[in-house]
Formats: sequence, structure tokens, C-alpha cells
Amino acid sequence: MSSVPAMQHDSAPADQARALAFLADLSETLAVSLDLRQTLSEAVNRIADFMGAEAASLFLLDESGTTLECRVCVGPIDIAGLRIPTGQGVVGRAVAENASQVVADALNDARVDHSTDSDTGFVTRSLLCAPLATAKGPIGALEVVNKRSGGVFTADDAEILRLIAAPTSLAINNARMANELVQQARMKREFDLARRMQKSLLPKRRRNGFPLLGVNLPAHEISGDFYDYFDLPDGRIGFFIGDVSGKGLDAALLMVRVASLLRWIGKEGTEPELWLERVNEELCQTSLDGRFVCALVGHSDRLARHVHIAAAGFPPALLYRRGEFTEYLSGGAPLGILPGMTFDGHEIDLDDASLYCFSDGVTDVRDAQRQTIGSEGVRALIQRHAGASAEPRLRGMFSELKHLRLVDDTTLLLIERIHPQGPEVLLTRRFPARPEQMREIRSLLRTTLDDAGVETGIRDKLVLAIDEACCNIIRHAYGPDDSGDIDLHLTSDGGILEFRLFDTAPPVDPARVRPKPLGECRSGGLGVALIDSVMDDWTLQARPDGKGNRLVMHKRISLTRRNGEDHE
Amino acid sequence: MNGIEQETAEGCTLIRLRGEVDLSWSQQVRQAVLEALSTSTRVGVVLSEVSYIDSSGIAALVEGFQNARSKGSSFALVAVSDSVRAVLELARLDRVFPIVADIEAIPNVSGAPAWKP
Repeated sequence: MSSVPAMQHDSAPADQARALAFLADLSETLAVSLDLRQTLSEAVNRIADFMGAEAASLFLLDESGTTLECRVCVGPIDIAGLRIPTGQGVVGRAVAENASQVVADALNDARVDHSTDSDTGFVTRSLLCAPLATAKGPIGALEVVNKRSGGVFTADDAEILRLIAAPTSLAINNARMANELVQQARMKREFDLARRMQKSLLPKRRRNGFPLLGVNLPAHEISGDFYDYFDLPDGRIGFFIGDVSGKGLDAALLMVRVASLLRWIGKEGTEPELWLERVNEELCQTSLDGRFVCALVGHSDRLARHVHIAAAGFPPALLYRRGEFTEYLSGGAPLGILPGMTFDGHEIDLDDASLYCFSDGVTDVRDAQRQTIGSEGVRALIQRHAGASAEPRLRGMFSELKHLRLVDDTTLLLIERIHPQGPEVLLTRRFPARPEQMREIRSLLRTTLDDAGVETGIRDKLVLAIDEACCNIIRHAYGPDDSGDIDLHLTSDGGILEFRLFDTAPPVDPARVRPKPLGECRSGGLGVALIDSVMDDWTLQARPDGKGNRLVMHKRISLTRRNGEDHE
Repeated sequence: MNGIEQETAEGCTLIRLRGEVDLSWSQQVRQAVLEALSTSTRVGVVLSEVSYIDSSGIAALVEGFQNARSKGSSFALVAVSDSVRAVLELARLDRVFPIVADIEAIPNVSGAPAWKP
């Protein structure tokens, strides 16, 4: 405030001190509270007093930026709510030109609009108006009318009003920003709540051989994807998976409605084709505002031997049986577009095959080159993980997807016969017995062990031990003159990991493979010693048919965590 | 990713290894170490950027260490990464090798800090 222009009165120092004291006071009043209505009306009162004016008013621009509205006024006439187009009258001009207006003789000044005066009998003699300036331009104006002393407003008065306008616009701006933050925080809270509610709509994971597994990975906070499964009166299982077009809160709300509609109509065991028809009729009765719903519905017996599905605009269901894929295309358009539509379904003898139903988010995943992985990418993904049991397989597939770019919600429903007993297969892989292969195998093992919840320190030791075992096969079993593959199987059973390595090299005499004492400074024999130290036990046997060797290693682990978007 | 760099600093030959030292290139590591010991009496192997090492990589280091001892040269592992240290500990070799934090700490004569109680 050191730049306060000197007021050219005789009593300049005294006036200056008074103005500064008032400014400090006013700023304090404005800073105390973010409740604008109260502080502004108090501020305008004090401004009128300080300026010795009969009336004072504060105008603010509306959202369109074209009209000014009187928000606070003091004086004999209440003009609160009065609206003035920008550029019109003294106030409009102050804002349009972003410059103070001084009117010494209001009766003979063309800028002054006298319509209010003639309505009320109030006579405007002299007035002063300063814009409420911000960095982004004026947000309104501050006006004082008629000196109580009867004199006219001067250029000095205009300067003081300009100074008073500064903390006023600052306070208004602050209050507006604070309000915006409060709004944003409320929005975020509501989004979080919606997200939690949505997640709670997804069905709980069922154990004991239940043949359906679902995973949902939302790309944005709020998901338009859904899936559900439930028991039918005849003992079979009804299931559906779907995707509401578009994103955001309204897509999510529609999803909630569609999911409950699908469940309601499907729970009596209505055949899949008819099930979709009825849901479509219901959805077409109300406007979806241009949105539509892609869905796949179906029935399965509890051993997933026979599955009956029908789909509406949903990506093809993929059946995987021993390395071969079969596609089942949707038999109708998406739901909610046209009433009276019919849908064709598929009866599938699944037996021991797997049926994958996934939303288009899976095919839309982008690879490192930002290309969508497409249905080829999805097939390759399924094939890469095919050796694992259902649960670790989905975990593995989704942990791979998470390393790519998810652009859309990604949801997958897997239907296959689950063998409730026995070990869980975490990994099966065949690879050429060559040193250059090992880097990739180590990386694969790390991911698999991570997904299985193995603690990092143990994981690294296990990776080392497997690497050592493979290197021994490469170096000593096959040797420099022979070549072949290594088969790696990793299973988990009740907290015990089992690693099995098969080769087709000439049989190795197990008696010759002995760990040497550790800590000896010798360059040979360290690999077996490391395996022996890391694993709880290990056995090497020649395969009974004399073709190759079998190394089985065990390690008991305590699982620290489980990865993946499981809904347990 | 994987790489060997050799440099000379303060009268000492440094072999800087990068990446995952495994069977696919541990022979190159072995050769680089032995060559450095044939021309220098003070050799350090920098392991700060090695994220994995297997027994064939450890063997190359062991051979270097034995070679240095037989000639009365000095040999040390420098700035050992956590993953390398874990393997050295597992092999109980963390107390066999002279392991130093930086180049300056590489001893001038063989042996002295190699055996800790």
C-alpha cells in the first residue's frame, strides 16, 4: 500500500493515514469469513460511511459475463437484484472498460441512466464507480452515490474507491475459489461412495468348485461394466456380464438399473434368448438418452458341462479347448435401442474346456506401441496362461493387462469346471534349453511368484534356485553337444510350492549331483549348493523310460498377500 | 541392458558390470576380470547396477579373486547391490570377498581386509 497516490488536499497526510487505516480495517473484515453475503453487506456499509455517500452498491457479473446484478446495496432505495447489461450505464461502463467512472454532474451526464430515479423519486447528483478487478478481468463494480456533504466526487475520491475495490474483489475471488474446492471435495466423496456401491453389487467369489469366476478392473473411477451370477430354482447357475455405453456417473447409474433388471428377469430361469428379449422391452420403455447396453446372459450346470448363452451386441465369447479357439458371436443388437427384437443363442458342450466372456475393454487394451491388442492379443494372452489353474490364470492375465494401457473398463467372466481338490497350477512352460532363454524365464517366475503372494526376498531366492537348476540341465545334462527343451511346472498346494523340471537329455546319475559345502572359495559346484540351501527338499531322478531326467523341488511358504481384483 | 565397461582410475582398473549376470554372458565377465588382472595389480568389480547374478557369475568373481591372491594383486567387489549381496550371503561368500563401498577403499596390497572374523 506504499503506492497509495498522494491525495492532493492541504490535509493530505491526515487523509492518507485515515484511508490506510480504513483499508487495513476493511481488508481484515473481508478476510475473516468466507461467507460472502454477510461480509460484503458489512463492507459496503462501511464503504458508504467512509466515502460519505448517501448510497452504495455492489454489482457482480453473472456466469454468462454479459449482465451485472446488484448483490448488496445500502441507502434509501433498495436496488438489490437490479440487472444491468455490461456496457450500459455507469456501472456497465466501468466493467466494460475496466476503468473507474467519475460523474460530477449526474443530471447532465449522458452515461447516467435516470430510470431508477424517476421510479423512486431519488435524485442522483454525483456518483463514482470502480471496477472489481482480478487477474482475469473485472468481476463486478463498486458504486457510491451522492456526497452527504452535498459536494461532488473528485478524482481523489475515485482513487480511494479504486483502492477499496482491490481487497473487495480479492475477498470475492477467494470465497468463490473456496466454494469450488468444497464442491470438488463433495463430488469426490460422492464418486467414491458410488464406486464402493458399485463394487458391492458384484457377486462374492464362491469356493468349492463353483464354475464361474469374474474379474472387473475399472479404467476410470466409475465403471459401466458389470457381471453377476446366482442360483436358479432347478439347481443350475444363471449368469450375465454387460457393459453400458459411455462413461461417468450417469453410465454407472444406468448400469445399476440394468444389472438389477437382468437379475430380476433372469432369476426364475427364463431361457437366455427370452431373457434378453424381456430386458430389451423393459429398457426400451424408458429413454436411455442415447445410451445402450451390451450384455451376455446364460445358464450353466454346476459342473460346467453344458452352457447355454445368448448375447446382445457383446464381444464374441471365446471357447478354449486344448489349444483351439471357437468363437460364439452375439445373436442380436445391443439392448435399449429397438423394441421387439429377438436374440439367437448358443448351446455349448463345454466339458473340460473354458469359456471366456469379456467386455470390449479387454480387446481395447493398448500395448507399448499404443495399438489395441485386439482379439488376437486376447487369444495369445489366454494361451500364454492356459497351463495355470483358473484362479492363478486370471490373476496372471490381469496382472499382464495392468502392465499395458487400460483405456476402458475391463471385465471378464470365466466359465469352466473347477476341480476343487488338488494342487493349484501356477505355471507350466516349455522352453529351449539355452542360456539366452533364462532371462525371460526368470522374469516370468518373478511375476508368477508375486501373483501367488510370495514375499520378495524368498521370491528372489526361488528364482535363483530354478535358474541354477535350469543352467545345470543346459550345461551338464544336455551339454555342448546335445539340445532340447526344458518343461517347467509350478504348483501350489496348501502353502507348499512344487517346482518340477523335465528334460530329454541323457540320464544323469543322481549320485554325482551333490551339493558342495557353501562358503568354500571354489568356482565349481555352487549351483547345486544354492538349490540345496534355498529349497526344503529336492530329488533328481532319471525318467523311467530312460529318456531324460526329472527334478522335483519343494518349498514351504507363508503367503503374505494376494494380488488381483478379487472380490472375496 | 547387460554390459561390461572398463576404466582406469587412481591406478586401479575398474570393471563395471550392468544388468543380469547369468550363464549367457558370464564367460565374458570371467575373461574381462582375468584380463584386467593380467595388466593391473589393483582391480575392482563395480556391482552397483547388477540386478541379478547366478552361480556362473559368482564363479567368475571367485576365479578373479583366486587369481589375484596367487599373484599378490589386490581384488575387491565395489558398491555391491542388494540383490548381489543376497546371493553372496546365500553362498556364504560375503565374508570371503573383500567388499568395499567405493573405489578409494580398494586395498593396495592383497589380502589384508579379505578375512574378517
